[in-house]
Amino acid sequence: MKNFNWLALGFLAPALIVITVFFLAPVILTGIFSFTSMSTSTGVTGGEYLLNQSGIRALADKGLNTATLDQLKNAGYVVDEKGLAALAERHGVATATEMRKLHENGQFSSRRDMERALKSLKANKIRSTKDRKAAAELFKHSLLNERFPTESKFRTAITEGGIPLEDHELIVTQAYTGWVWTVDNVKLLFSLPSTLRYAGNTLIYVTLTLMFNIGFGLFLAISTFYLPAKSASTFRAIWFLPRILPPVMYVLLWKWLTWDTGFIATTLSWIGVAPINWMLDTSTHAWVVVVLINGSFGASLGMILFSSAIKAIPSSILYASEVDGANRWQQVRYIILPHLRWPILFITSYQTLSLLTSFEHILLSTEGGPGRATEVWSLAAYHIALDNYGGNLQYGLGATFAVALVIIGIIASLFYLRFFNFNEMVAKPKIEG
Amino acid sequence: MMTISILKKALLASAIVLSTTAAYAEDITITVWAGGSNASDSYRMDAIEMAADILSKEQAILGNELNITIEKKRDFGGWSEFKQAVTLAAEAGKAPNIVATSHLDIAPWSEAGYIVPIEDYLDLDAWPINNIYDNLLKIASFDGVQWGIPQDAESRPFFFWKETMSKIGYSDADIEALPAKVQAGEYTLANVLVDAKKAVDMGLVEKGYGFYPRASNGPDFAQFYLSYGGVLQDPATGKLVLDKKAMTDMYQFFVDAVAAGITRKNHIGTDGSQWYADVANGKVAMWHGGTWHYGRYTGKEGNNDFFGTIQFSLIPAGNEAGKANTITHPLVYLITNQETDRAEEIAAQLINIASEPRINTLHAIKSSHLGITKQQSNIELYSSNRWASEATERLLPHASSQPNHLQYGAFSEALWKGLEASWTGVQTPAEAIKEVEAELKAILGDELIIR
Repeated sequence: MKNFNWLALGFLAPALIVITVFFLAPVILTGIFSFTSMSTSTGVTGGEYLLNQSGIRALADKGLNTATLDQLKNAGYVVDEKGLAALAERHGVATATEMRKLHENGQFSSRRDMERALKSLKANKIRSTKDRKAAAELFKHSLLNERFPTESKFRTAITEGGIPLEDHELIVTQAYTGWVWTVDNVKLLFSLPSTLRYAGNTLIYVTLTLMFNIGFGLFLAISTFYLPAKSASTFRAIWFLPRILPPVMYVLLWKWLTWDTGFIATTLSWIGVAPINWMLDTSTHAWVVVVLINGSFGASLGMILFSSAIKAIPSSILYASEVDGANRWQQVRYIILPHLRWPILFITSYQTLSLLTSFEHILLSTEGGPGRATEVWSLAAYHIALDNYGGNLQYGLGATFAVALVIIGIIASLFYLRFFNFNEMVAKPKIEG
Repeated sequence: MMTISILKKALLASAIVLSTTAAYAEDITITVWAGGSNASDSYRMDAIEMAADILSKEQAILGNELNITIEKKRDFGGWSEFKQAVTLAAEAGKAPNIVATSHLDIAPWSEAGYIVPIEDYLDLDAWPINNIYDNLLKIASFDGVQWGIPQDAESRPFFFWKETMSKIGYSDADIEALPAKVQAGEYTLANVLVDAKKAVDMGLVEKGYGFYPRASNGPDFAQFYLSYGGVLQDPATGKLVLDKKAMTDMYQFFVDAVAAGITRKNHIGTDGSQWYADVANGKVAMWHGGTWHYGRYTGKEGNNDFFGTIQFSLIPAGNEAGKANTITHPLVYLITNQETDRAEEIAAQLINIASEPRINTLHAIKSSHLGITKQQSNIELYSSNRWASEATERLLPHASSQPNHLQYGAFSEALWKGLEASWTGVQTPAEAIKEVEAELKAILGDELIIR
């Protein structure tokens, strides 16, 4: 430990904390969530034990025997000795006596009926609603709709309710409201027909956008390189705009451009073209717009990196090539592009990974439409986990979708490393060896 | 001895005074969050504030000092942000005491333990709950438990632009008779296709503006499934039902509407403001919406003669298998699980008072919703409002609702996905149904009945 550099750790600490909190923890948690049945209805922090009508129905489907089912279903409320004794203790013997007279051995299927029975007391009215509700509970036999915080309490309750021991396991499993460990999400992922579509969409999206990003970024970098310095920086600044605009604003501009009442439709209507929504008319329109939105956004990064890389090429090489009679194309082909191999690798792998997981521009523009044609994997994960009109968000399934994306990302990175021969590229320069 | 006894008495008296003040001066803060609400829905929260005032006064008469502070919030991005906010707050143990939300949230939220049944605190046989329409109360219950109290009612009518209808050959008397014909099943969605096409062909409305549906997922589309004889929930078992024939017919209706040029293929995702502007001023021949649209059409969109320009009816039947219908999707007041029972109890009392016909009428009329209690028809503000009374009479008796079922969200998403794919021409209805069926089978398993 003598050589341990505490100062270095101190300097690194903020970065380590940020990485842990904002990167590692979410990834690990997503990994954990993906093997759970977590949803809005299970909650995140744990569950309790509850039998309700839906639960009874599910138990019937799972083959619980009818006698036990009836027992669970029909226990209800009974005016028995135990209940009357408790009533006498709380509201006096007279109340209990009157109750006995009116309803001895009475059975009520719901609490409301039980409360009505208590309301029928004449001489000994229980006037407050709160007291009457509490009194109704004294006659309760049913386990339905009661939440038990722990398994042991629930087991005790069903044992007291006279449920045969052999049925306990099935009932306890069904009654648990929290999430459980499961691989069902993975199975579901492979069995849902939409999975393939999302995968296909993602492939189209990443490939086309990447080609646009790199191609256009390169084009901008090389063309501005040959421009006079001043106009070059103006052009670069213009192409940098998409990146510095807030995404909502940037996509809104695209909407104004492409809507059926937007700029393109209006302009074309002057030459007699019927207005259409240039963003959502067909899936082809949607894809073109999605690629353009993301591509123009991403191209600026490539442009900046490639431009600086080109500037790093010793100008003597370029001069020498001109002396040798090389034209611009030959300069690009034989001098510039070979020097840009490393930045191209970087941008390709970086953009692949970020495109795989980024969906904000699609969400804001087409929202995956028309008809889910541009619903990419990450957007689907978002929709499943965080957006559902009916209210039951599927956190677990959404996490499984996200984890699949992480795995694909890792495979893609490994592929790039191999494809671009990363080791050779970062090998120590022989000249200094 | 005497002095001691006096001293004792004095001490005792002051102790009693002190203890009563300590016991009865009660300060409590109740937070109310309302989803999907804008300025005209302010009474969703203000009613609770009024209730707090009444409850404090009631308690003061009993000699209890109860100071209730109401904190209100309705600025959420949209429904999904609202639902995320509520669930995350509940997970963190900081849930608002009262939420006004979709009744569809009852199933998942009750299962998760975020909410507690309102029937634990209120006498359902007493005023004003005993005056609330039974079908609305039922919508606020799940698995036989009364979880919430309906906050408002609404219904989703079909609209006709009168001028366009008369230009395609309907006399004034015909237009007046339309709602009855729709209800009787004599005017169906097939007629909608024909009439809307006429309106487009005659150049009365632009292509794609003959029939103008809702532009995003919502309960509205389930109505068209019912129009073709679909059933959402099997009454005997409580399971969800996918009626393939009805669903295919319903998808086909939208496909036909696009093919006939009366509905735009890329209609889904149309901007909300544009949508309202289009329908409220005659740019569209027929459309469907909600009873609360009345406020928007006559207010922001500036239609000063609603009844002179617009006719409304149930959603027409699609074929003989189905009938004219409408879905009501009331918001409900729910109380959340809190650390102390007292906070839940007071929240329940406040909801009870806020459901008084007179207080609820303020919301109903201000936001163009329908009332929740029968007695509202005896309140001048309500009964003198033509829209509220006519819409209540014409629509509410035929209103059904979406089922409170744990998996209904997944069901409705799949239904919508399939509709979207057929509507936009990405898949044929048959292909879409095949995918919906596979998807629902995988997700719902035993909880789905396929017909």
